[in-house]
Amino acid sequence: MALYDYSWLILLSPLFAFAAIVFGTRIWDLSSRPHEEAAAAHEDAHAVEEQHGGDSETHAEHNGDIELIETTGPHGEKIILEDLEDPKVPQLTTGAKVSGYLGILIMALACLYSWIILLASTGVLPIAPPLPPGGIHLSAISYTWLQQPGPTANYLIGFRLNNLAIAMMVVVTSVSLLVQFYSQGYMEDSAGYARFYAYLSLFAFSMLMIVFAENFLVIFIGWELVGLSSYLLIGFWINKKAKPAEDRLSPASASIEAFIVNRVGDVGFIIGIMILFVNTGTFNFADLAGPASNPLSVAHNFANNQSLLTIAMILVFCGAIGKSAQVPLQVWLPPAMEGPTPVSALIHAATMVAAGVYMVAVTFPLFASAGPAAFGVVAWIGGITALFAATIAVAQMDFKRVLAFSTISQLGYMFVGLGVAGQVYGPGPGMFHLFTHAFFKALLFLGAGSVLHALHHAMHREVQDVRLMGGLAKYMPITAITWLIAVLAISGFPFFAGFFSKDTIISLAFDQGNYGLWAITLLTAGITAFYMLRAYILAFGGKGGSFGGLWGGTYRGTGEPHESPTTITLPLILLAIASILAGYWTGFFSYIQPGAPNLNIVEVLTNPLTWLGVVVSLIGLGWAYFLYTRFEFAAINDFVQRNALLRVMHRILLRKYYVDDLYNLFIRYVVLGISHIEQAFDTYVVDGLVNGAARLVVTVGRDVRHIETGRVQTYMVGIFGGVVVLIVFVFVLVNFVK
Amino acid sequence: MGLTLNHFLVLGALLFCIGLYGALAKRNAIAVLMGIEIMLNAVNITLVGFSFYNHVKPYSTYLTGQIFAIFIITVAAAEAAVALAMIIAIYRRRSTVDVGEIDMMKW
Amino acid sequence: MDLATVIFWIIAFVLVGSALTVVIQRNIVHSALALILVFAMAAGIYLLLNAEFIAIVQILIYAGAVAVLILFALMLTRTSNIQTNSNPNGKLWWVALPICTLIAVGIIFATTVSPRVTTATTNLVAYGGSGVCAIPPNNVIYIGMLLYSPTCYSYVLPFEIASVVLLVAIVGAIVIGRED
Repeated sequence: MALYDYSWLILLSPLFAFAAIVFGTRIWDLSSRPHEEAAAAHEDAHAVEEQHGGDSETHAEHNGDIELIETTGPHGEKIILEDLEDPKVPQLTTGAKVSGYLGILIMALACLYSWIILLASTGVLPIAPPLPPGGIHLSAISYTWLQQPGPTANYLIGFRLNNLAIAMMVVVTSVSLLVQFYSQGYMEDSAGYARFYAYLSLFAFSMLMIVFAENFLVIFIGWELVGLSSYLLIGFWINKKAKPAEDRLSPASASIEAFIVNRVGDVGFIIGIMILFVNTGTFNFADLAGPASNPLSVAHNFANNQSLLTIAMILVFCGAIGKSAQVPLQVWLPPAMEGPTPVSALIHAATMVAAGVYMVAVTFPLFASAGPAAFGVVAWIGGITALFAATIAVAQMDFKRVLAFSTISQLGYMFVGLGVAGQVYGPGPGMFHLFTHAFFKALLFLGAGSVLHALHHAMHREVQDVRLMGGLAKYMPITAITWLIAVLAISGFPFFAGFFSKDTIISLAFDQGNYGLWAITLLTAGITAFYMLRAYILAFGGKGGSFGGLWGGTYRGTGEPHESPTTITLPLILLAIASILAGYWTGFFSYIQPGAPNLNIVEVLTNPLTWLGVVVSLIGLGWAYFLYTRFEFAAINDFVQRNALLRVMHRILLRKYYVDDLYNLFIRYVVLGISHIEQAFDTYVVDGLVNGAARLVVTVGRDVRHIETGRVQTYMVGIFGGVVVLIVFVFVLVNFVK
Repeated sequence: MGLTLNHFLVLGALLFCIGLYGALAKRNAIAVLMGIEIMLNAVNITLVGFSFYNHVKPYSTYLTGQIFAIFIITVAAAEAAVALAMIIAIYRRRSTVDVGEIDMMKW
Repeated sequence: MDLATVIFWIIAFVLVGSALTVVIQRNIVHSALALILVFAMAAGIYLLLNAEFIAIVQILIYAGAVAVLILFALMLTRTSNIQTNSNPNGKLWWVALPICTLIAVGIIFATTVSPRVTTATTNLVAYGGSGVCAIPPNNVIYIGMLLYSPTCYSYVLPFEIASVVLLVAIVGAIVIGRED
């Protein structure tokens, strides 16, 4: 069992990498940069400044034009900078490269160890017995934070390892490793290279803290830390400006939006946790989920008050709504695409947004003990989000934004899976979709990054619009084929990973009698297939390509894109393999929850409902194929714009159902309105009181000082006046008080 | 009616308060001083009265009131001397003996 | 109504009357003269109280020295030749009047009609019992004994201190009053 007892090394090693990079290799990197470089960078910055006229970040929102500035790039070629982006260096210093290697090495070791643990605990590798059902407590890194007798203070920092955690840990470390490896190529000319790796390691640590958490306290700490890491990583390109013409925020604004919207969800989360703690006296998941004989469990404490438990769990789910970008808090995920693409792949596709799903999976028994409303809320919010995001993705032009809405939609699927599973299946189906989704979504994002990288080199500026892509398959074959695999996986094409995980969820919805959700998920599957293939064809294919327009076609951009280097394509290949094979882990359900029925592939293939789902997906794929390979994109666009109904629908979908605008209005008029009122209160009432007190003192002083006339006679009058008062007092006392 | 202690006490009280009024309400410094002299005399009358109507033994045997009065007279004389010297000094500098004008300790 | 009482009432009225004159009179020299009368009447009161020595000392020092001193000071500090009111009232005289009245009423009440007034003679414990000499026949001799006697009960120490006070006063008056 020593194998499992040392698993806390997986948790702490990224933290060590973070510290080593921030305090060691990054300092090495910064101090070893040549000074002429700094002077040259200054000159460049001054040139850019002059051209911009000293435009500052905060005015960028008003600047609608894109100003083109010419400078020289890292390889000596001319580059047109649209804005002040991340400063570039022609060559990475040794310190920066070592930072990268350090991060990758540690993550590789952690990944290897976590795969060994996974194989050992499933029984494939007979070096250690499988874990006991409740998991093991990692006492090496657990300690008491504050503990007083009585219910008010019982804060233990605890970590545990169980099968669910192992499954998630494998996902996190594998995707982290591939992303860090990929970043070597993607961020090769960035001056903040070391900082990027530091933040990636910090993120890995935070995510693993959520995975290993034994109680709500630790999971909340990890929750906030991943929020912080996400903030740092989205806003990595600090100086980059907004592009209102493309409806894009600046990364700084996007990172703030992400953090704040997450915080809004966290309010509900905290209140839910507190309700649980106040009534039971513990934060520990195992204790809370225990049988009614355990005085700390919810079964014991909420026996008469199940509605309160339902409310508490719905509030806990609010945290997941915020973190996993479900309706109504989904607004932060599309702007979060302003971060570098590896960040989008790691955080906003595979891991951080999955933290919400993981948290609901960990607290699954609590949801089960609550009323049916708890699971109902989870499932229906998931379902509504899935449909909502899928419809929006149909109309988006920005390549990464399509993927962002796809992520939101698939997360909705995961919550549907968790909501309809019931006690029999446990968190298995939802987690299974998380498991497979992590691989193909990461693949989609990394592939998108490869495309954007190539287009940036070709057109010398940042391009994310699909209208400027097309026919890229013949320039970038590896990227195209892996992307196609991922598209088929996410569409639920038979025998790819997504097929098994999505189908399980759809059929569970049907089996539980939840026909509304079944219809929604089925419809969403079709729409998902449609927009994913649409994105693929618009980027890699087009009219006139081979294989009927799937491969190559007319390239609508400028320049000559070419395939990305190995550091970028290798992770794509590995993830493509995983996207196919991950669905075949049939023992997943019983691995997560002992006693759950396993995925029976034969049964899946013989169920007619499965084929109904396949048919729906194929309809979606077919419709996209027909539309986008037969007609030019511009022609389709014209047709839509000419038809009044289609134009209106397109506008609504393009503007994301105007939810963003609604929130903006709300914040500008309600939130800022209230804050203006309160600011007036602060200025006039509070400051008025304080300043008024001071003014009062001054005025009283100015008037009271007249008592000091400087004349002794006045003082004597005062003295004898006091004597008179005493005389009267004594008189009263003598005569009337016996 | 015979003379009792009360007569002298009332007389002393009246004189004291007349002197007090002079000390509080007069502007000429010398008038203030005269008020103070009246107050001291009133106190003397009271003390000698107590000494005569030996209600406080054994001090009336030892004429404590009268000795006290002697010392008060002594000190009053000394104080009058010093006070008048001060008044003259102030008059030399300021050409006024109006206590209302000597207010340098004013706010 | 024996002679002592009659004389007391006459002296009392004149005394209070001249005291009022001192504080009310507008010409300050008239006030000073009324003050002399006050001193003289006070001496009369002392005589009524069998305190002959005090009476004489009062005349000598108060009416003789202090009053003359006051008159000299008045002469040296005349502000202008023609002044209708050389003894004006201060700004707060209307406050001082009720204050003084109430103090007078208070003191009179406390000493005469208050329910807590005790008229019983008290007999305090005598102390300083080195020697109780015979009472001399004469107030002057008695006071002399009380002030200077080394063997009987005496107030020698206060006497010495009073002489130091007088010395300081003399020196002080000279220092303050000299021209430089």
